[in-house]
Amino acid sequence: MDNMISQRSLEQMAARRDRSGSFWLIQALSGLVLVILLGTHMIAHHFIVEGGLRDYEQVLDYVSNPVIFTLEVLFVILGVAHALLGVRAIVTDMRPSAGTLRVVNWILAAFGIVAIAYGVYLAVALQRLAG
Amino acid sequence: MPDIQPTTDPARPKSSLRAWFDVRGRSISTLAFALNRLTAIGLTVYLFLHLAVLSLLLRGPEGWDAFLSIAKSPLFLTLDVVLLFGVVYHMFNGIRVALVGMGVAHRQQKGLFYGLVGIGLILFVVGAILIYTA
Repeated sequence: MDNMISQRSLEQMAARRDRSGSFWLIQALSGLVLVILLGTHMIAHHFIVEGGLRDYEQVLDYVSNPVIFTLEVLFVILGVAHALLGVRAIVTDMRPSAGTLRVVNWILAAFGIVAIAYGVYLAVALQRLAG
Repeated sequence: MPDIQPTTDPARPKSSLRAWFDVRGRSISTLAFALNRLTAIGLTVYLFLHLAVLSLLLRGPEGWDAFLSIAKSPLFLTLDVVLLFGVVYHMFNGIRVALVGMGVAHRQQKGLFYGLVGIGLILFVVGAILIYTA
């Protein structure tokens, strides 16, 4: 068996209204974008800064750039979505009942919305502090 | 490339979670899958811890710069290197998983695995040296 999602399995999932295939595709595409965003984030915050980490003023200066701000917000949204879809995939592999999976979906969605809202709030607050 | 599947072998754990840690007779692709999942769990925990730690920035320079002095300790730097391994492995093996899952180069996935993870390992070594010497 290889990892490719076959047309037949996609049709079976559609018949069961199972969105795992769509979730997998979102996770894969967000993962590919995250390669660029996370790579940029790590290089910018850990490898080109003297001392290895930005101090307070350097962080504010960095986030005050509108392009960086947009990339960081996108990074939070895609990072949280990718991570929580991964958690869902692991839970799905344990073959939970439909009811359990529904509860897990709601918990992960709520957690994801709170985490993204908090991350965006943090980025906006830091940009305001930077003036 | 085989995935971890439910097994009928009585010698193996029936739970798919326990099966990840049962490395007996596993192929490199299955081990790659298991390590991808383990790094994913680690990175997910780190992501939410990281978001929580960033709230220190809202306390002003005292809060953040005090954290920085802890973050530059040898123990923290070692944890950074472990994190870097997780990031690099998950990133490069993830590229393979995404490409193969979308039907790209699925016949060459073993070569893709060695090539991408090889590049990742080189970047990891360079990054680890930079973390300790920056």
